[in-house]
Amino acid sequence: MSQFRPTTSPPVTPGVTGGPRRGPLRVLWRHRWPLLFVSPFFVLFAIFALYPIFFSLYLSFHEWRGIGPMRPAGLANYTRLFGDRIFWNSMLNSVILFFIYVPIMTFMAVVIATVLHGKFLKLQGMWRAIIFMPHLTSMVAAGFTFRLILDTHSGFANQAFQWLGLSPVPWLDDVWWARISLGLLMIWAWLGYNTIIMLAGLQTIPTEVNEAAAVDGATRSQVFWRITVPLLKPVILFAVTLSIIGTFQLFTEPYILTGGGPMRATETPVMQIFSSTFANLRFGYAAAMSYVYFVTIVVLAIVQFKLVTRGDR
Amino acid sequence: MKKSLYVLVLSLLVLPLALAQTPADALVPNPDLHATLEVWAWQGSGVDTFADAEFAEYYPNIQVNYVLRPTGDVYQQIQLAAVAGGGLPDVSNIEDSHLRQFLELGILHDITDRALPYVPFMNEFKWRHVEMDGRYYGMPNDSGPVALFYRRDVFEQAGVNPDDIHTWADYYDAAQVIMAETGVPMWQQATARNSARLFEILMWQRGLGYVDEDGAVLLDRDEGILEILEFMGRFWEEGLALDAEEWTDSWYRNFADPNVATHPGAVWMGTFFKSWIAPDAAGQWGVIRLPAWEEGGSRASNDGGSSLVIFEESTQKEAAWAYVEFHLGRTASQVQTFIASDTFPSLETAYDDPYFDEPDPYYGGQVVRRIFTDVVQEIPEAGIYNVDYQEMNNLMAEQIQRFAVGQVSAHDALAAAAREIRSRTGRR
Repeated sequence: MSQFRPTTSPPVTPGVTGGPRRGPLRVLWRHRWPLLFVSPFFVLFAIFALYPIFFSLYLSFHEWRGIGPMRPAGLANYTRLFGDRIFWNSMLNSVILFFIYVPIMTFMAVVIATVLHGKFLKLQGMWRAIIFMPHLTSMVAAGFTFRLILDTHSGFANQAFQWLGLSPVPWLDDVWWARISLGLLMIWAWLGYNTIIMLAGLQTIPTEVNEAAAVDGATRSQVFWRITVPLLKPVILFAVTLSIIGTFQLFTEPYILTGGGPMRATETPVMQIFSSTFANLRFGYAAAMSYVYFVTIVVLAIVQFKLVTRGDR
Repeated sequence: MKKSLYVLVLSLLVLPLALAQTPADALVPNPDLHATLEVWAWQGSGVDTFADAEFAEYYPNIQVNYVLRPTGDVYQQIQLAAVAGGGLPDVSNIEDSHLRQFLELGILHDITDRALPYVPFMNEFKWRHVEMDGRYYGMPNDSGPVALFYRRDVFEQAGVNPDDIHTWADYYDAAQVIMAETGVPMWQQATARNSARLFEILMWQRGLGYVDEDGAVLLDRDEGILEILEFMGRFWEEGLALDAEEWTDSWYRNFADPNVATHPGAVWMGTFFKSWIAPDAAGQWGVIRLPAWEEGGSRASNDGGSSLVIFEESTQKEAAWAYVEFHLGRTASQVQTFIASDTFPSLETAYDDPYFDEPDPYYGGQVVRRIFTDVVQEIPEAGIYNVDYQEMNNLMAEQIQRFAVGQVSAHDALAAAAREIRSRTGRR
């Protein structure tokens, strides 16, 4: 039998094919061909994901400058980290930034998706493409463009404000404005992506529900708030969870737009990990940071999941 | 009689210096060295304007391949290659601010015996950056002597004579007059986005730094440093500084327009003015020495500068050294690079070239290059560029920002920066 055949019967002529006769090894042996064909993924995953994950855990208990000897550090990296104002400030920045842009962005995504989903809109494909376009733009290019637009002295935004008779805004030069500017960039870049997720969710809601509500005399806003939003809840939850993770993983956007300033107001954990590794050559400390930050994200995601699904039971 | 004897003795003493020749000036062509060298540098470093055609005549069998990248990328690539244990080039240009990290990683080739003959010919302060435990691991390339660039038109309009500015106190008085007469701020210094570069220049001028000679944090232990920060603070407080972030469009434009009267900056800043920041301002810029902190005090400082290193990993160290020596140790090569790209030589024999005495039309015919050769030979040693430089600069910049926007006092800003540097770097 050269052909693979899913079977529960014992292998034919074990004496010829060889291999272990009992236990889990036998199962592996029996599925050796399919396993071989799926193995490239697992090999690559082990090299590029599992190994780094465990190596950085090991690293977090050492002091290392990238090359040369690793000095065991015990828990020193972790104990130092808990008193590190700059690291916790970057975590706090992520939380603040999350509340600055995610609620608005998610709400806008649901509204825009509902409009795009409606039957009355013409050129649907075009609108969807336009909404999604920013997400395809290189973030580095977008970041630099935003920087030019938001420059306090010569940026287009403040020039426009001037024409309108408004006073200029210190977009990137003030702690809170810098966070808001970063939030604007995030909304610009990620609104389309979230809208597409919501659209996919909307398409799973049976049209009968909406029609029935309309027959019962519900207004459009009632349909939106009482039917669309509750039925979309799992999708919204999914999108918000992605946004939590995305916000904590932010790097390129603040790195280009604000460089983390002013006064570290927009510095994110990944920026701290990056500079600890590549500017300060504290690989062990940076690895400890990654782990604390990873655990925090997991906890946040679980808490958020529990909070949102609580009402369902 | 006595006087002429004195002159004779003096000229005999001076003569060898005036005709000073480096070992590389006496190089003869060597076709026996065969190699293909890889050289890393950042775009605009001046390495791309090295005298390669002449090098090819002297070493016809050494081929040089350049890999030019943005500045930060060069260092990341070096780190990655060092961690990976392979892939380093033979030679790289490295800024002195970053050099120490690579030095302490142990990936640089010890060139002490080869570099020693050049020690008396180079700016003295430069050797500190490439030296560890009495050994040399790099060859000085360019220096960043700092002077005060000023706008002639603004000074004239305000009726201020730049030659009357001898101390920073004079500078401050001039700032007030210029503001009153013309409404133009004296310098551009960002508040919430300050980079700490000027602060470092002013510390360097006084031979001060983040750390002292023993590597212990100095920031909160020196009255001079406090004086520097408080001095900067007065300009923000009294509206004598223009708040613009460095290396942004508005920063450039303010130099060109001009919305600012002076800029304390390194020699390479003049190159930028001339070539792309304010090319139309020919005749409007002038240069004087930095004002001193006290009458008769130091008027020299440094900002930037780089060195060439050979990596331990290189298998062609002989050829690599030939390359480094030819471009950095040979007077004619350095002069040629300076003329081509204004990369200011650390090699002092280059300063004898008549090019340094030519009036520069961009500066209204002023003999500007000679000012910088005077400055560069007086630059004190300062504890600024070291293995923790990037981290210290980053921590200090944040505190300067807080001070500039009025959140903390100068004293508290320095104390906070010192405290954080100590806890992060383990320094005393």
